[in-house]
Amino acid sequence: MKRLAMLVAAVLLALTGLAGAQTLVYGESGLPVSLDLPQDGNSLTVQYQIAQPLVGFKPSSSELMPLLATSWEANADATQWTFHLRQGVKFTDGTPFNAEAVKFNFDRWNNRDNPYAFQDQKPMAAWTYIFAAFHGQKGYLLEKVEVLDDSTVRFDLTSPVGFFPALVASSYFGIQSPAAVKAGGADYGTPGVGAVGTGPFKFQEWVQGDHVTLVRNDGYWGDKAKVERIVFRGIESAATRLAELEAGTLDIAVNLSPDDLKAVESNPDLKRATATANLSIGYVGFHQANKPFDDVRVRQAVALAIDQKTIVDSFWSGLGTPAAEFIPPGLLGRANYEPYAYDPAKAKQLLADAGFPNGFKTEFWYMPVSRPYFPSPKDIAEAVAGYLSQVGIQAELRTEDWGIYLKDYDEGKFPMYMLGWSADYADPNNFIFTFFSPIEIKSGFGWTGTKADEVVKLLGDARQAASATERVTYYKQADKIIYDQVPAMPMVYPTTLNATRANIDGFLPNPLGTTSIQLNEVTKN
Amino acid sequence: MFSYFIRRFLGLLPVLFGVSLLVFTIPRVIGSDPARIMLGERASPESYQSLRLELGLDVPYFVNFAEARTRGLAGFLDAQYPHFVGRALRGDLGKSIFSRVPVVSSLEHFFPATFELTIVAMFFAVALGVPLGIVAALNRGTVLDTAVMFVALAGVSFPVFWLGIIMIYVFAVGLGWLPPSGRLSPTIVFHSTTGFYIFDAIVQGRWHVLWNAAKHLVLPGIALGTIPLAIIVRMTRSSMLEVLGQDYIRTARAKGVERRVVVNKHALRNALLPVITVIGLSFGQLLSGAILTETVFAWPGIGRFVYDAISSRDYPIIQGGVLFIATIFVIVNMLVDFSYAFIDPRIQYT
Repeated sequence: MKRLAMLVAAVLLALTGLAGAQTLVYGESGLPVSLDLPQDGNSLTVQYQIAQPLVGFKPSSSELMPLLATSWEANADATQWTFHLRQGVKFTDGTPFNAEAVKFNFDRWNNRDNPYAFQDQKPMAAWTYIFAAFHGQKGYLLEKVEVLDDSTVRFDLTSPVGFFPALVASSYFGIQSPAAVKAGGADYGTPGVGAVGTGPFKFQEWVQGDHVTLVRNDGYWGDKAKVERIVFRGIESAATRLAELEAGTLDIAVNLSPDDLKAVESNPDLKRATATANLSIGYVGFHQANKPFDDVRVRQAVALAIDQKTIVDSFWSGLGTPAAEFIPPGLLGRANYEPYAYDPAKAKQLLADAGFPNGFKTEFWYMPVSRPYFPSPKDIAEAVAGYLSQVGIQAELRTEDWGIYLKDYDEGKFPMYMLGWSADYADPNNFIFTFFSPIEIKSGFGWTGTKADEVVKLLGDARQAASATERVTYYKQADKIIYDQVPAMPMVYPTTLNATRANIDGFLPNPLGTTSIQLNEVTKN
Repeated sequence: MFSYFIRRFLGLLPVLFGVSLLVFTIPRVIGSDPARIMLGERASPESYQSLRLELGLDVPYFVNFAEARTRGLAGFLDAQYPHFVGRALRGDLGKSIFSRVPVVSSLEHFFPATFELTIVAMFFAVALGVPLGIVAALNRGTVLDTAVMFVALAGVSFPVFWLGIIMIYVFAVGLGWLPPSGRLSPTIVFHSTTGFYIFDAIVQGRWHVLWNAAKHLVLPGIALGTIPLAIIVRMTRSSMLEVLGQDYIRTARAKGVERRVVVNKHALRNALLPVITVIGLSFGQLLSGAILTETVFAWPGIGRFVYDAISSRDYPIIQGGVLFIATIFVIVNMLVDFSYAFIDPRIQYT
């Protein structure tokens, strides 16, 4: 009789469509934009559960580990990389995962004229940040992908890249089922079609603007997911996201405001889920085409005038560390400098030496939108301007529409500005080379001259060096020049605040954030 | 009367044409573009130019002289605006640049959500606002009147964003009576055919879903309704006062007609005309999408949909979305105008 009652209850429960404790509800700052050729964090987070790259990350770390590839090696000059693929893996539509599938994916990303590239409708902008350019365009990196046999694939590069596996591990490059891409056409990755991969979860439904539902892939080649399904909700307001977590209607909430750290830590029903460090940096930049920032003494004076430690403590509430260099902790090539001390007297002295005993007037631009590296830009800008005024620098605070901000930054219109960067992949090159590449060093900082050329050469050498020790030497030399010359003042290495209900285990953000972690080990107790 | 309706409908066309021109031009003129947004902090001049080409942003805006030379009229019109208008007339508003989802499909998704929320908000605003306004008018100068006017003032003064968060913390997190945000609990599996959850739940006979959807409508509906509430209260009150001061009211009272009858039969109907205007306009405004409410309550409506597109310069969504909203607004206004003829027999449309 009791069993019958339980059976009836279970049936009723099923009829009402409730999923019970097997559903994880994950709150992000928005729903995915697309599950194909994803760009933004919300899309990447969801796609990573469905489609996996060849290389993954060890839990909580930016160290690489095999994922869809079991091993890899390079030729002598790191221009050819051969990957050995995991065997016996199938996409959730039943088609086999093999070298041809890998080639199909990389070809459609790399070649603008590939029939499945849909470049005219939605180009894969992310390809250009990691592989420099599309095939045939100036500076392109990937020449071709060769299928050596069913489970071996080789990447031929146009120039040596010692850290190629780190590029391929980037969450943009989840391998999608060729059959599904062909069937879906230009609609692949949109709400009506979804995406198909080899991951621990598969796509079930996407109600536009409302939620995306994934269900467990029972045929997964690795550890099967502990929960039956995940519902991703997009909640733009961070305050609402926290409220939902507190009310218990969300199990996981990511990208909360740093101001909420206290609320999370003092609530016994919640627990914090942050990485040890985030590969992210916020900085104050100068463009040297705008005087007087072409004088290194002036730039150094600004660095000395700002009490970095106080600003970081105040605005990041313990979720940021003061930064001194352009390679964040966790990556090789750091010189471990201390940030410039807070020394207004010395700053004034330097300004006097440079010909500004009474300071000068300038513009300080801050962004109008909250960025992961600067959550409250206006407040931080005001604090910085406050310190500058104490040494005589009158910084007028300015801002404009984000899109136009980026354009004007690129055109060198800002004498002083705030900007930042979050990693695309886990290698120092993604930070220091991005800022000090031959092009960016001029467009971002207007930095020219012998010292600038030296940095460009060192970073170019580091990029192509075969051994890690060699690379470290080059980076450290470049670090020193950058530290002394202050083309920009690093401000903070921020850590994003994520939180879960206390009964959730196994949610482990890594230094790249939450966009390249699999959720199959997450349990809801 | 019929010819009046026809003329009004036809009058929509130039308005919509004008809107289409503005909605096409302004996002392009204010600077920046989707390619810049796509690349974000990572833009190098080369990748930016290359993206612009891919996205067709380099095609001329209005007319294409270069192509005209080789292809005549077809070439002349091979420009962004003619393409936009040509497709729009065929019901194709293009696809989002960032997601490749057809704009029409998204609007079909987001508009019912906004409509449902608007109905709830207006119901709250009218059901509470009109009686309050009448009470205030009938008790003019008393404490009751002041209290009602205070409520009205508060409604208009409280920022919806702030009010929304407070309501969430009190009723959802604190008391647990209502859900914090969204349209439906994430654990519920429900396929809505029309996009109107209440309607579809009834049609499908899923009472649990109906209850759940209704609970989700309460907080955002009330938050959104506070501003129209304030306006309706004030309008009702002042309109009632004006009517109550009329001679014929005094005559009716002098004749000995009961106060209740005077108010309901003689005063109210006449006082309602301006109130209906305000209700109609508020309805149209809310249908345009309440961005702040939708953001706080994670409500998947057209307000946030179009607003996000503006920030990312997703031209097809901006164009299609704003054109759609403008059309709705203009139609609602037209319906309000038409309704006068039925409410007030003195008004004749020829």
